[in-house]
Amino acid sequence: MIDLNERYQEKNNFFKRIALLYVFFGFLFLLFLYRTFTLQISSYTDYELASIENKTKEMLIQPKRGIIYDRNGEIIVNNVPSYSLITKPSQIGNIESHIEAIKVFIDISDDDALHAKENYKRIAKLNRELTLKNNLTMEEIARFETRRHKFPNTFIDERYSRFTLYPELFSHSIGYVGNLNDDDLEQILHEQNLKPKETIFVYSNGYIRGMTGIENIYDKKLRGTYGKKVYEVDAAGKLLNEIEIIPSINGEDLYTSLDIESQKVAFDQLNNRRGAVVAVEIDTGSIVTYISSPSFPLNRVANGMSAKDFNKLLNDTDKPFFDRAGQGRYSPASTIKPAIGLFGIENEIIDWNFTINDPGFFILPEDNRVYRGWKKGGHGEINLKEAIIESSNTFFFSLAYESEIEQLVEHLSYFGFGRNVCIDCFLPDKGLLPNPEWKMNTLNFSWFKGDTVNLGVGQGYLSATPLQLAYYSAFLAKKGELNKFSFVQQDIDASVDTFISKNINNDDWKKLHESMIGVIDNPKGTAGRLRNLKDYTVAAKSGTVELVSTETKEDYKIIRETEGKRDHAIIIAFAPMPNPKYAVSVVIENGESGGSVAGPVAIEVLNTLLEND
Amino acid sequence: MIKLLNLFKKKIYFDQYLFISITILSIMGLLFLYSASQDNIETTIKQSFFVMFGLILMFLLSQLDPDFYKNNASIFFLLTIFLILITFFFGKEVNGAKRWLDLGFFTLQSSEIVKISLPIFLAAYLYDKALPISLLHTFITIVTILIVVNLVRIQPDLGTSLVIFLAGLYILFLAGLSWRFIGISLTILILSLPFIWNNFLEPFQRQRVLTLLDPNADPYGSGWNIMQSKIAIGSGGIQGKGYGEGTQAHLDFLPETETDFIFSVVAEEFGFIGVCFLLITFFFIMFRCLYLALNARDRFCRLTIGGLSLLFISTVFINLAMVVGIIPVVGMPLPFISKGGSSLLSFYIAFGIIISMATHKKLMQK
Repeated sequence: MIDLNERYQEKNNFFKRIALLYVFFGFLFLLFLYRTFTLQISSYTDYELASIENKTKEMLIQPKRGIIYDRNGEIIVNNVPSYSLITKPSQIGNIESHIEAIKVFIDISDDDALHAKENYKRIAKLNRELTLKNNLTMEEIARFETRRHKFPNTFIDERYSRFTLYPELFSHSIGYVGNLNDDDLEQILHEQNLKPKETIFVYSNGYIRGMTGIENIYDKKLRGTYGKKVYEVDAAGKLLNEIEIIPSINGEDLYTSLDIESQKVAFDQLNNRRGAVVAVEIDTGSIVTYISSPSFPLNRVANGMSAKDFNKLLNDTDKPFFDRAGQGRYSPASTIKPAIGLFGIENEIIDWNFTINDPGFFILPEDNRVYRGWKKGGHGEINLKEAIIESSNTFFFSLAYESEIEQLVEHLSYFGFGRNVCIDCFLPDKGLLPNPEWKMNTLNFSWFKGDTVNLGVGQGYLSATPLQLAYYSAFLAKKGELNKFSFVQQDIDASVDTFISKNINNDDWKKLHESMIGVIDNPKGTAGRLRNLKDYTVAAKSGTVELVSTETKEDYKIIRETEGKRDHAIIIAFAPMPNPKYAVSVVIENGESGGSVAGPVAIEVLNTLLEND
Repeated sequence: MIKLLNLFKKKIYFDQYLFISITILSIMGLLFLYSASQDNIETTIKQSFFVMFGLILMFLLSQLDPDFYKNNASIFFLLTIFLILITFFFGKEVNGAKRWLDLGFFTLQSSEIVKISLPIFLAAYLYDKALPISLLHTFITIVTILIVVNLVRIQPDLGTSLVIFLAGLYILFLAGLSWRFIGISLTILILSLPFIWNNFLEPFQRQRVLTLLDPNADPYGSGWNIMQSKIAIGSGGIQGKGYGEGTQAHLDFLPETETDFIFSVVAEEFGFIGVCFLLITFFFIMFRCLYLALNARDRFCRLTIGGLSLLFISTVFINLAMVVGIIPVVGMPLPFISKGGSSLLSFYIAFGIIISMATHKKLMQK
């Protein structure tokens, strides 16, 4: 046993040691209190957010795109609902066997199956949905519903497709919708303070955006805004109840200036030949007809087609995806002559009474090179009006010869050449308005007088799109004052281009119009064949674009054996005179004659437009 | 009234401070458990039976004289070791761990009883040893501790074995283990840490330690529990979300809400105010025990009160440190709050013995 002294020592020792441990735990106590304080008070907001984020799940609600109307209020592009068979590829291991299993009772076309197989991996990675078949019949729905327990990750739901009743008429003007890539999606959602998440889709092909044409240019307006549904969820992700819903707002409808009837006529008239038709309402500058031919099936491109069919379109030598109306470059050829004539008047090089003797050719004094007209023997003694009607080359060669190239370029620019003339066209080409600087920079040659002479008849380097030619036509019709082109029915204060001149007055414009009326109505006019196709007066100027320069008609006969080397046919026209309402341009590749090949197309389009007014 | 109480106290052995605070803690525990168990009334009723039984048991055990415990310490100890051993053969396996003995009306977690009997046994062994404790006695004590700890560890029950280890060391330390021995063994321990890491820890236990170092590295894997617990505690703020309104607990984001992580539920629903109230209660019990230990009648009582109260405090702090992410998840109940009959009863037993040790004075002192 231990004695009293030792007992005291023991007790003292115990006190010290237990005190040491209690100090340690006291310290722990404070540490813990501090830690809890940090969590609950200093970082409260972070953790509160984390807890809210934990228990809620947000789903985006896709908006419906706006409907696109023509100028008469007819629907061009709509959202069409159908019942679709939808699957979640991220939950399915083998898509082929999955499709085979469903094929037993629902017929899935080879196209659809191929489409599913091609996109399966991509969609699975994005955790989006894959449509196996659209437009299910009631019978197919019933057949699936009785077996749905076998396919837990496949379901039937209503989904929309972007759909037009006129699958080939608006392929280049309206354009198509396609899938939004992740960056763009993030960007769009960012504008709405949202982040990409699981989405309640409206469209069978997922997130969509306008890829080309009006769908692209007016994408923001048509798109609408995404909505949001907030659910309370448990840790397993099970949806418990709906906390909040912010509905999506559908996109605004778009009333375009396009005219379905004239589109139909223009498309039928071109009849799959390579070419383009653009027609505009002169007063407003709004585009009523915009056709590029051949076209492609808009609905199929927008809503999914097999890679094989798509490649077939892509590799077609006629290039159906190419927008000839807005991006095709063609020499204006003789259609440039009215503008050159105005240049002569404006700069007092000629007047309406000035005549020259046209022997059928023009010899450039500098190098004795011969520039030929289209008519052997020439047009004899002619003035400007006759030169336009008969399309004398010699007259305009001589006129161009007298011109300063810089002034001429500036003059032509007023008429829309070499610049963008449209405020809402998709990737419009500016064509080419050549000048000495351009030639030096691109071709490394200095400008020859011959280049100016060639410009006088719209050949050489000068090129323009059918859209620009339509603008040029409308600009002539409206006597030098015109709204920039647009696809929507414009308000009054649209941007206006005005021709600034010193010497051209209303009388000159009148005479110019008369000359262009003569192109059809004068017995000597180059487009006389159009005379009987209409019962109103049309001002026009035809042109024939030489792709290969030939000396004689015999030479051309050899050339035209190859279709691609034949001349392009061009015409610009406006009607009805004397108060024109519509201006039109038509280009038919390798169509050979502006007057008799492109001309009837222009007249039919004008007929339709005027009849329906 | 006070006269009546004094009369009452003369006849029986009773410490009103501990009794009241433990009762308050137990009632709070039932309240918390009801919410933490997703309003499961069955669990709560079952637990309240344990509480009532536990309080009675605590009262009864405090009536026994400390000498009874001292004299029978070895028998109790051997009995509990025997319970552990039969657990290996007849135990109920849950999630790969054999910790429970099915007694029909009650499944007993045998390790919970050992954590009481070991410190008492060691106190009984060491109370009459000369100071400082000789190397031989130290050696015997340590071997005993290690045997018991390892028996529990291989069940496996890392949390309880850790607490048992600590409880044994507290007794040894309080009894007067030489400082030189402490210094040397601490050095050896630190040097052998890598060896322990590689040979004594199961892979999942190692993972838990790693997770602690960076819980955000793998939020959906092993860091999930700590992350969710911190979110629950942090989102409670000052006032809490309200009783039964804890979204982390009720929408299943928190794991083990009824046992290990019940503190997170309390913190989420009652906020910093609730946490402080709970902590103050624990703190009060802790210092009441210190007072009692310092005034105990002899060395055996001092050692027992000190050892058992430190065992209680260690359990509390291991649980708390775990749920706020200071130490790895080890599986440790919060005393008087967490669900689990064995753990609950073991602490009523411990406090029954503490009260017995504290209230029985020596005849000559009276």
